[in-house]
Parts: sequence; C-alpha cells; structure tokens
Amino acid sequence: MILSDLLGVPVTDPAGAPLGRVADARFVLDGPLDGQLAAARLFGLLVSPHTGSSFLGYERRTMRAPYPIAVVLRWRHRGIFLLRWEDVERVDRDGVHARPGWTRYDATID
Amino acid sequence: MKGLFAVALGVLTAIGGFLDIGDLVTSSVVGSRFGLSLAWVVVVGVVGICLFAQMSGRVAAASGRATFEIIRERLGPRAGAANLIASFLINLMTLTAEVGGIALSLQLASSVAPGAWIPVAAFGVWLVIWRVKYDLMENVTGMLGLALVVFAVAVFLLHPDWSSLATQALTSPVPAGESAGTYWYYAVALFGSAMTPYEVFFFSSGAVEEKWTLKDLAQSRLNVLVGFPLGGLLTLALAACAALVLMPQNVEVTSLSQVLLPIAQAGGKLAVAFAIVGFVAATFGAALETGLSTGYTLAQFFGWSWGKFRRPTRAARFHLTIMIGLVIAMGVLATGVDPVQVTEYSVVFSAIALPLTYLPILIVANDPEYMGEHVNGRITNVVGMVYLVIILVAAIAAIPLMIATGAGA
Repeated sequence: MILSDLLGVPVTDPAGAPLGRVADARFVLDGPLDGQLAAARLFGLLVSPHTGSSFLGYERRTMRAPYPIAVVLRWRHRGIFLLRWEDVERVDRDGVHARPGWTRYDATID
Repeated sequence: MKGLFAVALGVLTAIGGFLDIGDLVTSSVVGSRFGLSLAWVVVVGVVGICLFAQMSGRVAAASGRATFEIIRERLGPRAGAANLIASFLINLMTLTAEVGGIALSLQLASSVAPGAWIPVAAFGVWLVIWRVKYDLMENVTGMLGLALVVFAVAVFLLHPDWSSLATQALTSPVPAGESAGTYWYYAVALFGSAMTPYEVFFFSSGAVEEKWTLKDLAQSRLNVLVGFPLGGLLTLALAACAALVLMPQNVEVTSLSQVLLPIAQAGGKLAVAFAIVGFVAATFGAALETGLSTGYTLAQFFGWSWGKFRRPTRAARFHLTIMIGLVIAMGVLATGVDPVQVTEYSVVFSAIALPLTYLPILIVANDPEYMGEHVNGRITNVVGMVYLVIILVAAIAAIPLMIATGAGA
C-alpha cells in the first residue's frame, strides 16, 4: 500500500456510517534505525468530516498565521480527528473501516 | 571595499535582470494604447514581486528548500501534481516567448530573419546553462541588461510635458476609444508581466544554488528592495516612451522593432544600439532563467538531483528536462507563431498561475517547523494577505476578460 491509496478515501465506522475522509497520515519515528533516523511507523490517519483536502500544516497549534487562512482552513477541517492505525479494521475498495470500540483522538499537535 | 562591490553588483544585476520580453512588449503595448494610465499596476506589481521574492528567498535560506520542493511537501501528491502541470506549461510558454525574443532582438541587430536566429538562440541558451557558472551567468546578463537604462534617458530627451504625464499616471483615466474591459485586461497582463512565477522558481532555486544561509538574507533583501523598484522604473520608462511617441500617432505595438521607435527618435543610432544590447541581454537572461526553471520545477517535484552547482552528469534528468524544454520552445516557434503574441498570452497566463505558487510560499513562510524564528512578521502577513486577494482576483478575472475583449483587441 502506498500513501496515495489512503489520502482522500472515505472512512466509515463499524456500523457503516460515514466519518469523513482521510486528510493526512501521521507517522512516528520509533522503528529500528534506518540510516541516520529511526524508521517511520504509521501512527494514525487524520479524518476530516467535511473534506479530503490537506490541512496544509494548520493541525499544529503553532501554525496560526496568516490569520484569515488559518480561520478558513480550521473551518473546513472542523471536527477533524485522529484515528489510530490500530483502530482501523481493514482498508478495501470502499475505503477505510474503523474497528468496533475505536476512539476519536484530538488531531491537534503542539 | 569588496563588500561594497558585492552590494553594488547584486543591486545592479537585480535592476538589469528585472526586465524580460514580457515587460518589454507589455509595457510598450500598454504605453501606446493607454499612456501612463496603467502606471499604478506597475507599482502594484513591483511591490508584489518584492514581497514574493523576499518571502521565497527567506524560505529557501531558512529551510534549504526551493519552491517546488515546498509545494510537493505541503500540497501532497495530487494537488501538487496539478500545480506542477499548470506551472510547468506556463513556464514553457514563457521560455518560448523569451527564445523568440532573443531571435527578434538579434534580427534587429542583423536584419537576418528571426527564423534563422531561433536555433542559434536556443543553442546559446543551452550552452550557457550547460557550461557557464551560475554567478557569472547572472552577473553578465544583469549588467548588460542595464543598457535598457537608455529608455529612461530617452524619456528626458523627448522633453515630455511632465505635468500631463503625471496627471495621466495619477488619475488613471480610460483613454477614449478603449473600453473598460480592455483597460482591465491589460491591467492583468501588466501585473502578470511584473509578477511572473518563473522569477520566483528561479529566485528560490538560485538561493539554494548559491548556498544562501540566513546571513545572506540582508544582502538579498537589499537586492530585491532596491533593484526591483528601479527595474520597475525602467518598465515605466518603456511605457512612457511609447506613450510619448507612439500613442499620439496611433501606432499599435505588434513587433519588437516598434518598441525601438521612440528610442530612435530621441537618441538616434547610438541609443538604438544600446537598446538592442539591452533587449538581447534581457531576453537571453530571462531565457536562461525560464530554461533553468523548467528543470527546477520538474526535478524538485520528483526529487531528482538538480542544480547548476552539480556537474551535469550528476543532475542528468535536470539537464535533460531543460534540453527538452528548449527543443519544444524551438518547435513551437518553428511553426511560425509570432513571439510577440506568445508573449502577450504568456503574461496573462502567468497571472492566472500565480496563486498556485504564491499561496504555498505564504503558508510555509509562516510555518515555524520550517522557518524557526524567521517566520513572517505581522506586517508582512497583512501585506501578504492583501496580495493574496489581488492575485486571486487577477487570476479569476483573467480568462473572462480575455474572452470578453478578444484578448485585448
């Protein structure tokens, strides 16, 4: 699987109700050493209820300017949340399916 | 002393390198049809390009990344690719116009038909990109481009009625015989010729080529903030020359030779010789910049190794892209299309494509992850947002205006 298979695809909860679209993927660098850096591990997907477009970095709390752009993007991505990769049951042609008992995490990072 | 020399050199090449075929043609066309009533657009465009170049230079120096690396990282693969295709095609169109402009300029000097000069021009551009060191290439074309100062001299030699010129520039009337539609169409064209996307690809990639660090930012800011406005004054001088000589006789500029007419009237053969040297330098310099930009955009997007600071064998795909770009430009020109017309369209399409590169740079210039403490200040952001609106309006209005006015006919 490559990242393009995930970005923009619809996400549904275990009952099949739509949750939004994958706006971004979040990785952590905690794998075994790969050259200079630790290998990246897919931590979770950012799911945005109203759009599958990119948040352009404004999911970070430090990204506040220019103010009008930040306001527009935060509004477009209102309700965005982090779906941890272990909460993903499967990915198929219909999109990403969350596992029963999944948790909605805050998508903001500091 | 050496420091002073470097400062002067930077500023002078920024002035000489400011003009390209788009500025030469558009400002003369506008001057001959609208007088100085669109002078305000040059001011808006120059402030805009100062802002944009200064931001992208700072992003390049702080993050080590050039424009299309940023676009690829920030917009993601799909939106980034759409952006790449549009920017790449418009850059190719500008390259075609510049190569055609070299041929037209050499024709003025030699009376050999431009068709014969086109392959020579393209080969010359390729050879310089392949062989000549980056700073030498920049300095020589920039310094020779200063010959265009002859247009500013010509304005004085033509003994204009300064108060009527000033009235035209300050009250911005739509001249009799022109519609509001054509006025605004040429406003967009003039704006596009001042704020051309390739200038920013080139500027930010050049910062990486010359290995700028944050220490070099003061020099770059000076080059931009002094050099570009003075280059903008030359654009105004071109428009003023056309307004003084061509407009009263109802001459419509459709060829590069007509741009020379006011110079011939004001200063005779010597002045014309200076102007032709300036034309060749301006178009050749811009052809180098757009030629390199075809390579920069594609290589940065796909993550190929790029840059003149690498030997060509170490950046093979980068150089191959440039060669293919030049071959395409030659092919388009070989169909017999008029380079002046290609230029007129290219400046309008530049205005259309501008938001695609402006917005990502504006956003990343605010990102502390990339910029650390060198993020945009509050004033830069206010001006930046005002320009975002101007750029969006110009881009959205361009196509309807083009259709409604029959491309300014």
